[in-house]
Amino acid sequence: MLAAGVLLFSVGPLFSVGPLFSVGAHATQTLGPVTDDIGVLRIPKGAPIQIGGSWVQSGPDTALGLDQKRAVEIAIKDLGGKLLGHPLKLDAEDDLCSAEGGQTVATKFAANPQIVDVLGPGCSSAATPGAPILWQAGIVDICTSCTAPKLTAADRKPEYYGFARTVYSDIEQGKADATYAVKIAKVKTVATIHDGSPYAQQLQQVFADNVVAMGGKVVAQEAVAPTDVDMHPVLTRIASFKPDLIYYPLFTAAAAQVSRQVKETPGLQNVKLMGGTSMLSADFIEAAGPAVVGLLFGNPDLSPDAMGKGYPKFVADYKKAYGEAPVSGYHANAYDALTLTVKAIEKVAKTDKDGNLYIGRKAFRDAVFSTKFEGISGAIGCDPYGECSQFKPSVLEFISADPKTFGIGKNPKKIWP
Amino acid sequence: MSQVLTRPLPQRAPWAAALARLNAVDVVLWGLRIGVVAVVIAGTIGTVVQDRYDAAQWVDFVVFGLTLGAIYAMIALGYTMVYGVLRMINFAHGDFVMCGAFAGYFVAVPLDRSGFLQDHAVLGMSAILLVSVITSTSIAVLTERIAYRPFRRVTGLAPLICAIGVSFFLEQTFRGMFGSAVKSYPSPAWQRATFDVFGFHLPRVDLLVIGLAVFFMAGLYLIVQRTKMGTAMRAVAEDGEAAALMGIDVNKVVVFTFVLGGAMAGIAGVFYAFVYKQVYFFMGFTPGVKAFGAAVLGGIGNIPGAMLGGLFLGMVESVGPTLFLDGLGIPAPYQLRDMIAFTLLIMVLIFRPQGLLGEKLAKKRA
Amino acid sequence: MSLRQQPAVRCALIGLVFGAVAVHLAIVGVLLMLHKRWIVVDTLSLGQATLLVIGLGAGAMAAARVATLGGKFGRGTVGHLGTGVVSGAACGVPIAALMLLTTLLPLQSIFIALSPDLVDMLSLGLDPAPGALALIVAAALAGLLGAALRIAPSAITRPLLPGAVTVLVAGVFQELIQLMLQQWPDVVGDAQDFIYTWEGLSVQGAVTLFVIATGLSVLFRAAQRRMVVHRGPPDPKRTRLMWAGISLLVLILLPAVAGSYIGQVLMLVGLYILMGMGLNLEVGLAGLLDLGFVAFFAVGAYTTALLTADSPHALMHLSYWAAMPVAVFMSVCVGVLFGLPVLGVRGDYLAVATMGLGEIVRVLVMSDFAAPLLGGAQGILQIPKPRIGDFVLSTPVSLFYLTLVCSAVAAFVAWRLENSRLGRAWMALRDDEDVAQALGINLVRSKLLAYGLGAAFAGLGGSIFGAMLTSVYPTSFQLLISINVLALIIVGGMGSLPGVILGSIALIGLPELLREFGEYRYLFYGAVLVIMMRLRPEGLWPSEARQRELHSRDETLALDAGADAVPAQGD
Repeated sequence: MLAAGVLLFSVGPLFSVGPLFSVGAHATQTLGPVTDDIGVLRIPKGAPIQIGGSWVQSGPDTALGLDQKRAVEIAIKDLGGKLLGHPLKLDAEDDLCSAEGGQTVATKFAANPQIVDVLGPGCSSAATPGAPILWQAGIVDICTSCTAPKLTAADRKPEYYGFARTVYSDIEQGKADATYAVKIAKVKTVATIHDGSPYAQQLQQVFADNVVAMGGKVVAQEAVAPTDVDMHPVLTRIASFKPDLIYYPLFTAAAAQVSRQVKETPGLQNVKLMGGTSMLSADFIEAAGPAVVGLLFGNPDLSPDAMGKGYPKFVADYKKAYGEAPVSGYHANAYDALTLTVKAIEKVAKTDKDGNLYIGRKAFRDAVFSTKFEGISGAIGCDPYGECSQFKPSVLEFISADPKTFGIGKNPKKIWP
Repeated sequence: MSQVLTRPLPQRAPWAAALARLNAVDVVLWGLRIGVVAVVIAGTIGTVVQDRYDAAQWVDFVVFGLTLGAIYAMIALGYTMVYGVLRMINFAHGDFVMCGAFAGYFVAVPLDRSGFLQDHAVLGMSAILLVSVITSTSIAVLTERIAYRPFRRVTGLAPLICAIGVSFFLEQTFRGMFGSAVKSYPSPAWQRATFDVFGFHLPRVDLLVIGLAVFFMAGLYLIVQRTKMGTAMRAVAEDGEAAALMGIDVNKVVVFTFVLGGAMAGIAGVFYAFVYKQVYFFMGFTPGVKAFGAAVLGGIGNIPGAMLGGLFLGMVESVGPTLFLDGLGIPAPYQLRDMIAFTLLIMVLIFRPQGLLGEKLAKKRA
Repeated sequence: MSLRQQPAVRCALIGLVFGAVAVHLAIVGVLLMLHKRWIVVDTLSLGQATLLVIGLGAGAMAAARVATLGGKFGRGTVGHLGTGVVSGAACGVPIAALMLLTTLLPLQSIFIALSPDLVDMLSLGLDPAPGALALIVAAALAGLLGAALRIAPSAITRPLLPGAVTVLVAGVFQELIQLMLQQWPDVVGDAQDFIYTWEGLSVQGAVTLFVIATGLSVLFRAAQRRMVVHRGPPDPKRTRLMWAGISLLVLILLPAVAGSYIGQVLMLVGLYILMGMGLNLEVGLAGLLDLGFVAFFAVGAYTTALLTADSPHALMHLSYWAAMPVAVFMSVCVGVLFGLPVLGVRGDYLAVATMGLGEIVRVLVMSDFAAPLLGGAQGILQIPKPRIGDFVLSTPVSLFYLTLVCSAVAAFVAWRLENSRLGRAWMALRDDEDVAQALGINLVRSKLLAYGLGAAFAGLGGSIFGAMLTSVYPTSFQLLISINVLALIIVGGMGSLPGVILGSIALIGLPELLREFGEYRYLFYGAVLVIMMRLRPEGLWPSEARQRELHSRDETLALDAGADAVPAQGD
């Protein structure tokens, strides 16, 4: 019995030397009616079309990932839960908004030959290692809230060929925020704070560079740790430089601390405060308390005139299904990512006479990059490097400290343009 | 033969003899001492020369530091008492602080919403403190009973790992119960006001915290020095077996220690939350670690030492980056505040392991 | 007898404790999360199974404990079963009460896990009031069953366990198993369709697997008994070695068989094994409690990044194989540098001092101050994967084998060190530094060698980690990693190499596989640590020396009580 066991285990691997040596599914393949350069995905009759989802679903930034997951679920429901006669299934995983998490989730999806594409991750640090792994297995990655400029830069590496995103790049966000600060709010000197995360550090750098280019002055670029609670010393130091505006694209906890403690720091009583997109949540209002009134932050324009036509209906559906208004800012991007996926599948999928569905992977990728439509977040159409959404900047301001009054467009209110 | 013995041995100058006894370790240690002192002095000179901050701002730095230090001191007291009696680092102590802060939150918010906290400050605060203390003390006693008692006589690393396990367990339990979003303590108007001291405007809540911390610590000190239980505690800390032979019920003493430590943790949690407003499940970890550092700084097992260590650490964290690193032109010095705190801790452990006020425990017990 | 000692009351107290555990799971949200996971689709959820097991446990423990108390209650089969019923019912009361309270008071505003879904699950689909009653009855029945299992002859109960475990594993891990099976659609396709649906295990699949597993278990036992009759009782050590050999073989061959996700998980396990062996040298052999271990890991990763990355931060562009020895060397240097100042510090203080050193490194790599050199918050990206000639080690499976080779080399080194003069010097150091010094052991040299060699292993691990992620971010090097490594060598068994492997699989591999329980990973982790330390502080696979140490007190006590001298254990 023992011998049999050992024999089985030593002979077993011979059956699948494939996973060891294969460099992904990069070989011309013909299955059914489809021939493709990279590989063909076969979905048997009645089996679900599986879409992977990678978002942060635990920890203090849960709202970010939860919001997008819900949006995709509503998108699937809007299609009746079916596509081309197959049920549509979302397989959402938690990538913990970290590089290791992103990589593990990507590996898990890459090992599953039934995944058509992956929506997400929510964080750039998860997308950076994850997207190449997915593309190596021929899986397209449509990111829904990762905004790092590198991911769709013209000089990005070939392993990101399969990466696209329905969300803007931070180059735009930083520039827009700087434009507002210098041209509209007419400040002359700014100070920035980041928390050591790649997102915040990069965004404040883009902001600072743009401010300087527009003739302003950057008097301080400070940093804190994300778990710091005592911001008084940093703020006192900033106060000694006498800035007109403090730009702090931090995550919820640290941003709330800065917002509260600025009022208590002598010398900063009249300074303008501008935060980042993570402020767009009821959690932030709760965390920042009475100090939230009057806070500004830049965010893509989510007001009805800037968004696509279908946006108000989406918000209504969301409220009905989940009992509350959207809890973060990237739901529309996620919805549009699913729509993009579906349109691309419809373009290239072929059914054989038995009812099985075939999708060529390279053809799918090309379809994603060439499809254009009006999404609920605006016009969607990808440039050759994967940037698929148009960026419309806006600046929002909080008017009430009651978390129950949170509503995008109401509290916070759009004050520009 | 006698000639060999009576010939005088070649004499060396004392400094040459000392130099000959030097080895690599001493060189490194001296290098470390000199390096740190050099950085401190150079930085201080640089800051003074730059003269960027006025007197009011320096006073602010000091007050922030003392506030933070007072909170560290209260947490450190719990650590130091438990270590003195059990010779064990209670990794979960920071989480007792978190438990108390959460419990207080659910009392503070309704009280504030109804205006009670605004009108009856003392009564309101007492209610919050009471609930917090009861919660953290119960959890502390329960932890001792379930997780620490079996390890009373065991040496080695098992108790430490157990404590780490308890820490994770408590954090995740509270996260599961109350969610991972950050909750905010209320900010009644009487806390936001400022006191005028010698022409400087100091936030009232900070001074309140410092004052009350000193008050509670003094109370603790009296309990430990003057009451029967306190004396029993000190006896067990000195020598557990001898104390047992003297007829002291060691179990009772340990439970009492955890009660006191847990109570202080609860009070520290409420004060922390009132100053920094944010309560969430992971809030206890970093202050806990730093408070242990403060306890070691002051001399582990020594109550005035823990107080001193806490205040000192708070000051260093608050004033340090400004005083030392700013002058050296280092960008974003506040990111490095943890580094300063830990460097201080390590220097103390290397060069004065008994801490500022304590006995030589670090080098004696393995 | 006092009230507390009366058997019925004891049963009830035992039940209440189990009930408290159930309440805790409910209030923390674990129960609802488990409920969402099916073991058998639409029939038995993991949450329901958990409640069942809690009830069974209450009954079993009551039957075991109370039987020893005497008195009329608890005697005989009926008595035993009675204890089970009482205990089970007592177990059900707290959780039923929780459910009722949730429907009466708005508890969800405070305890977010007490949702209507949870009430629905606990009331077994009925209205709250009858549901509570039904729950208590169900709990009592579970207790009855538990007591019955406890007193039933082992010939009946023993085979049931593998059956239940098989169904559990097949049901809970259905996604992974289906992923594995999908690699060979021709060989196992039909069987897979019978046992599984797209959602998970089907009822017929569950029943089939249960029957097969139970049957196999019965046959196995019979064969074992026959073997014992023929050849005498099996040598426990040989059996252990045999199982170890098989497990090792499975471990080595599994990634090639099971696909890249398992390969990824095993690679992470492998990295932690590498680090565990390093820390084992420091803590297990030399007794130096080092909580700053992650710093050496970081040094290895950053050195590799700085020497090979295709990024503006890189100092040069070597091949991975050239950079790896340099990374190890740098880690050794940093290890010695760390060790020098803290040579005189001992015990718990050393833990805090090294933790401080580790944190200093973490703050430095993230800071703006060191950003021009180390990349700051953005980290260093674009580390190329290692190449052997034309072949790029890009898949997780191939990197796993690289890790395996490195671990094997490290294991060999560690094993030789353990039995060398240096190893014995370390053990003397661990037991008593002063005596060791008096015996002529050069403390400085031994300690520095311990730090350096431990750091070397960690640096090797860090180097592979960097290649695996193709980038290094400062947020990857938290204190949590040091704590993880320490926990895994203690849970696995300090000072023993098989223990490190076992600990790594248990504490790193399982949570990765249980990612769906993602939010509660650390809850289980913490509970497991506490339970392990209470039940088996020497670890899962302790070295013999350790086991002797930790249990020598028992021997002494036994001797004092008049037992004969304990015969020496073999080898």
